Amino acid sequence: MSLVWLYAVRHGGADRPPAGPGVDGERPRLVVEGPLVAVVGTVREEEFDEAALARAMEDLDRIERLARAHHAVIVEAAAEEPTAPLRLATVYRDDEAVARMLRERAAEFAQVLERVRDRQEWGVKVYVDAKPEAPAEEPASSGKPGTAYLLRRRADRDRGAQARERARAVADRIDETLAGVAAAAHRMRPQDARLSGRAQEMVLNATYLVDAEAEEGFRAALAAVEADGATVELTGPWPPFSFATLGES
Amino acid sequence: MPELPRRVDAQPDTVGRDLGRLVLTIVELLRQLMERQALRRVDAGDLPDEKIEQLGLGLMRLEEAMVELREHFGLEPGDLNIDLGPLGNLLGPEAGSR
Repeated sequence: MSLVWLYAVRHGGADRPPAGPGVDGERPRLVVEGPLVAVVGTVREEEFDEAALARAMEDLDRIERLARAHHAVIVEAAAEEPTAPLRLATVYRDDEAVARMLRERAAEFAQVLERVRDRQEWGVKVYVDAKPEAPAEEPASSGKPGTAYLLRRRADRDRGAQARERARAVADRIDETLAGVAAAAHRMRPQDARLSGRAQEMVLNATYLVDAEAEEGFRAALAAVEADGATVELTGPWPPFSFATLGES
Repeated sequence: MPELPRRVDAQPDTVGRDLGRLVLTIVELLRQLMERQALRRVDAGDLPDEKIEQLGLGLMRLEEAMVELREHFGLEPGDLNIDLGPLGNLLGPEAGSR
């Protein structure tokens, strides 16, 4: 028995399916329904039914392999047409169920695909030094080491609070500026230092949906923001997946 | 990432270190809470100078003792900063993480 894994939905046309391989090593196919096309793959039921997927979600290596294959097919599918990716592990019983879903949600798909047409996604991450710099010179101790210690700790604490306040202001300023230029913005939770693999602390983690022709303006806006010594990382252009990902309704 | 050991492995060579880490983590948390409270009282300005000196000396010696104990057990400052998942780290980002 087999199931149908759904990768993405896009507008129809003279379509070739992506070459794959897909999440089960299969070659992706297309399911056409009216103006819409679903990119799907035939996968083994014993590996991809609900119970098997629940088990897979506890296996980090397997999730990673699934996510990479899923993503690769979507990127390939998105090369030419506006494409709405489906979340990982969207599985249907058969092609007829996929076609029915496309019919039922045609208006929603059309809207999403229209939103991302001729637009690209840019990622912006802002980092600041987690540890504020040490004070220049300790005040000479006046024979009161305990008091000096407490005052030093107080200065550390205040410097930390100011640094956090400044970092938050930088993040807000950059986000506001870019959101003003972008068609849509999405601010996510900053990643933990262990995930980002940097010693610096992430204070902004956002993506922006930008008209392809507004790219220069977007870059210029980012360059013009006063970053106050923070490290700004721009990535992209990406296919606008953050603004087109479809969940189960 | 630092986590409390699920159980203390009763191997003679590691039990001391695991227990030490657990105890030092709790002591360090209390020390930091005391320090924050002391700083708040200094901020409020209602403490006489000699009381501030006393408090500062006490906290300073406690910190020195913590460093010695930590080194005795071969632990880094970040080892005591337990990851509480969505709540962040027990001792905050400044305490470092493993």
